[in-house]
Order: sequence, then structure tokens, then C-alpha cells
Amino acid sequence: MTAVASSIPPEWYLLLAAAVFCVGLFGVLTRRDALYFLMSVELMMNAANINFVAFALYYGDLTGQVFALFVIALAAAEVAIGIGIILVLYRNFGVTDVTVPTEMRW
Amino acid sequence: MVEPLPQVTALLPVLLLAFTGLALLLVDTLSPDTRSNTSMAVVSALGALAALAATVWFVASGTGSGDTGGAILLFADAIKVDTMGLFFTAIFASVTSLVVVAAHDYFHDHPNPATFYSLTLFAATGMSLLAVANSLAVVFVALEMVSLPSYVLVAFLKQNRGSVEAGLKYFLVGALSSAIFLFGISLVYAATGSLMLGDVAGVLGDIAAGTDGLDSRSGIAGLGIVMILGGVAFKTASVPFHFWAPEAYEGAPAPVSAFLSSASKAAGFVIAFRVFTEAFPVGASLSADINWVLAFGILAAVTMTLGNFAAAVQEEVKRMLAYSSIGHAGYALIGVAALTGADGGAAANGAVMGAAMAHLLVYGFMNTGAFLFVAMAERWGVGRTFEDYAGLAKRAPVASTAMAVFMFSLAGLPPFAGFFSKYFLFMGAIDNGFLWLAAVGAVNSVISLYYYSRVVKALFIDDPASPTTLDTIDVRPTALYAAVVFAAVATVLLLPGFGPVIETAEAAASALF
Repeated sequence: MTAVASSIPPEWYLLLAAAVFCVGLFGVLTRRDALYFLMSVELMMNAANINFVAFALYYGDLTGQVFALFVIALAAAEVAIGIGIILVLYRNFGVTDVTVPTEMRW
Repeated sequence: MVEPLPQVTALLPVLLLAFTGLALLLVDTLSPDTRSNTSMAVVSALGALAALAATVWFVASGTGSGDTGGAILLFADAIKVDTMGLFFTAIFASVTSLVVVAAHDYFHDHPNPATFYSLTLFAATGMSLLAVANSLAVVFVALEMVSLPSYVLVAFLKQNRGSVEAGLKYFLVGALSSAIFLFGISLVYAATGSLMLGDVAGVLGDIAAGTDGLDSRSGIAGLGIVMILGGVAFKTASVPFHFWAPEAYEGAPAPVSAFLSSASKAAGFVIAFRVFTEAFPVGASLSADINWVLAFGILAAVTMTLGNFAAAVQEEVKRMLAYSSIGHAGYALIGVAALTGADGGAAANGAVMGAAMAHLLVYGFMNTGAFLFVAMAERWGVGRTFEDYAGLAKRAPVASTAMAVFMFSLAGLPPFAGFFSKYFLFMGAIDNGFLWLAAVGAVNSVISLYYYSRVVKALFIDDPASPTTLDTIDVRPTALYAAVVFAAVATVLLLPGFGPVIETAEAAASALF
């Protein structure tokens, strides 16, 4: 554990992660464009990664760091699927605005 | 003396599903010109049935049960094969085989059906992996393995605006809830320093006991548990993450709706049953002031009430079934809501959770069958509302009788299997002192009888709007028929077979406490 990392209390990492998570959540709730939605979800997942990496350091085991790598890979897979769905959305509706498709009652 | 099989063979059902999916994808990629819908449907059905046969064989021979040396731990304890995991794998494999058989006729003119079969099998692989996960890391990876193919399956008809819209909405809510679920896992890791379910439970016990200044962590752990609960609510289509379900089930191709509302919902429950009993034991959670039992209780009551009332006012059969599946998520949630933290409550807890597992098995057949009947109606092109179904029994008596069996069983009327599973569930809740949950459930079952019988009335009693409306039924989708009839036979056969099912389920659930 480096001197700088160990001198930062773990609460600060939690606060940072919570802040990033809330920025992402705010983006999800306010943005109407599906691409912004993807970016916001990415922020929320990376907030979790901050926790995993920080507490892997705090506890001195690698589980959290390794799992963070898994999460990065899964987030990439999720974006790939998301982009695909947004692409067919654009082909069918001509927009990437998530509020436009209303074929069914919401 | 027979040589015992290597331990890794306990994963045989998961591997069978995975390799069948991969083989289909490989063959379709290598030689796309020889693609044949029928042979692919046969191969995927055989793969799913082989997985089912292996699972049933394992359950019958007691693999991973307490009688034969306990659960089988694999891959540094990240995987734990026990009877509960196998029980759920049996549900997933049964639903998968019904769905791929039905899909043969539903996607008969689709240009690329191989993707459907392999994606379905990959999702089923993820589900059966989820059922044997023993670490929050495996839970999350397996959950994404279920979710990612499901998003694509919902939007599978990419020229169809309804299907695309449903896929988009499912993806939006799903991505959001999996991010929340992941953040919950990270908070639990922050509070306990482990992702293994057993170790998390150990530290949670220390937090509850207040050792070493750990008591200050109960807030973080509690927040994490609530967020994990949110992820479970999404997967099971429960309040407050239920609103994707009517859209996704209505817009998706009907076999996909059947798959999602039966198998994917059961996958959500396997997370709830395993994670919340093994990582966050009731007793320790209650003493750490983390009352997730009450949270599940409220969710169960709200979910079943909302699902049933909303189902009662629908005009479209598929949408009614979507809301009814939300209602059934509420019933099954009783399995985690009616738990007691009292000493010596293990047997009673096992009884109510086992009843919920048995309900999910019965529900797997009756609900899949009901959605596949809707698939058949879509294939015939008769329309989507109750009125459009009027008089169908005259043209398709066998399928309509099967649908009537599903409806009465879903409503929980005796003498159908749905009655027994609900009976055991409500009795288990009463035994554990949750009379109010059982009462809410019983009232809701009565309400549900109204809208289920509307379908039967339309099929058998009502006359079609005009004598010619049903002349469009000129196709006989054999595979769809077979799947619907098989689901009906299974629903009926679960009646005499309910004894062994509930015994296995209760033994499997009791092993968790």
C-alpha cells in the first residue's frame, strides 16, 4: 500500500463513488437521448469499480480489482448490445430519443 | 463399486446448454447456406432436453444434497452445486425446450433463426450458472449472461416497431438496474471485504454482534443490500422495477415473452433465494437492523396487488398475461418475505421457500404454455384482444382446452397444480406468522379468477364477431401445438407428481438455512 493511498481514509472513496454514481443516475433520469443514457450507465458502473478497487487496496486482497476487470468487460458488452438496439431504434423511428417510441401504452 | 464421477461433471447441465448454443452458432457461421430451421430447432430442443435429463438424474441420485456429502464446491468455491441449483436448472431447461420447439413455427419465415436458438440457449446457460453461483462476482457475471441475450431476443424482430420499442425499454430499465445491482455489490464488498456468499455472511454476523468497531458498517451493508434487492426486483418483474414487463412482454415475440416471464423470472428468484439466505442470513441481518424480510414483504404485497388489479382491466390477452406474471412474482416473493429469524425457524423457513420454488416450477409450465397459446394466436393472425379470441374453441379445441387448463391453474383453482403450490405457499406463510401476506395473496387469487376466466369465456362461450373472422386459421403449426399440449400435460401431471416436487423443493430450501 503506498503512502498516499493509505493516508486517504476509505470514507472518501465511498463518497467519490457515491458522487459519480449520482451523476450517472441524474443523467439516466434527465437525458432523453439513448446515447447519453449509455454514457450515464457507464458512469454508474465505474462508480462501483471505484469501490471495488479502493476496497481491494484497503483489505489488501485482489478480489475487488479482479472483479473490476470483469465489470469493465461486461460494461463493454452491454454497450455493444445497447448500441445495436439504438441502431435498430434509429432505423425504425428515425430518432435516438427514448421518449418517441410509443407504439404501446407506457 | 462404481467409480464416482469427477466433481466438475456436476456442471453437466450448464455445459450441455452452453455447448449446444455454441455449436449452433458455429455451424451457422461456417456454413450459412445449409441452414435449416427444423434441424436447428431439433438440435436446440435436444440440447435443452439433455440438460433437463442430466438435471433430473442428478436430483434423483442426490448430487449435492446432504445425503451424499453435501454441496459440491468448484472453482475455488465460486460455484456451489446443490439441490436448489439443480431444481432451478430443471425449470430453466424445461422452459427452454418448450420455447425452442414453439419457436420453430413462430420464426418459420425468419431469415436467421440460428441467432434465436443460440441466444436462447446462452441465456439459459446464464440462468443455470446463476442457480449454482456461490459468489457475488459469479452472480453478477451470470446475471449479465442472462440479461444481454434477453435484450436482443426482445428486439429480435428488428423490422417490427413494437419489438424494437420493447427491446429498447427492456434494455433501458435492465442496464439501469444492473448498474444499481453492481453498486450494491460494491457496497457489500466495501463493508465486508469479500464477495463469497459464506464469508459475507460471516462478517455480517460480526457486524451484527458489534465486534471490533464493525457496527458502524451496518449502514453501508444495508444500503448495498437494498440496492441488490432492486436488481432482484427488476429480474423478477416486481415493484418498483416492474414497469418494463408489460411493454417488453407485449412487444416481444410471444415465445420470447414466454421465456422471459417464466425462466428469466425464476432466475431472478434464484438470486433472491440464494443470496439473501446465504450471504445475508435472516437472523444476522435483523440484529444488524437490516430488515430485508419486511422489505420483501411489502414488495410482495404491493406487487401481487398491482399485478392483479392491472391485469383485470386489460383488453389484450398478452398484456393481461404480462400483468398476471407480475402478480405471480408477488406470490413467489412470499418465499423470501415470510421468513422468520427466530431460533429453530429453519424447518418453517425451508417449508415456505420450498413452496415458492415448487410454485415457480408449476408456474414455469402453465405460464409458458399460456404465452405459447398467444404465440399460436399470433401465428394464426386472429388478433390480440379478448374479443378476437371469441369462439376459438370451435376451430382449435385441443389448444383451447390446454389454454383453459393454464388459466384455471394460474388462477389456483383446485384440482390443478397451481392450487397446490399456492396452498403450500400460503400455509407456509401462515405457519411463520405472516397471516397478512397469505390473506393478501388469497384475496388476489380471487381477483385473478375474474380475468383468467374471461379468456376461457371468450374461447368457449362467446361467438366470434362474424362467422368469417376465424377463417384465417388455415395453418396447423405442429411444433407450437406440441409445445402447448406438452405444457398442458405437464401442468396436469404435476398434480399427482406434486408430492415428490414439494419434498425435493423443501429439502433443497431447508439446506440453505
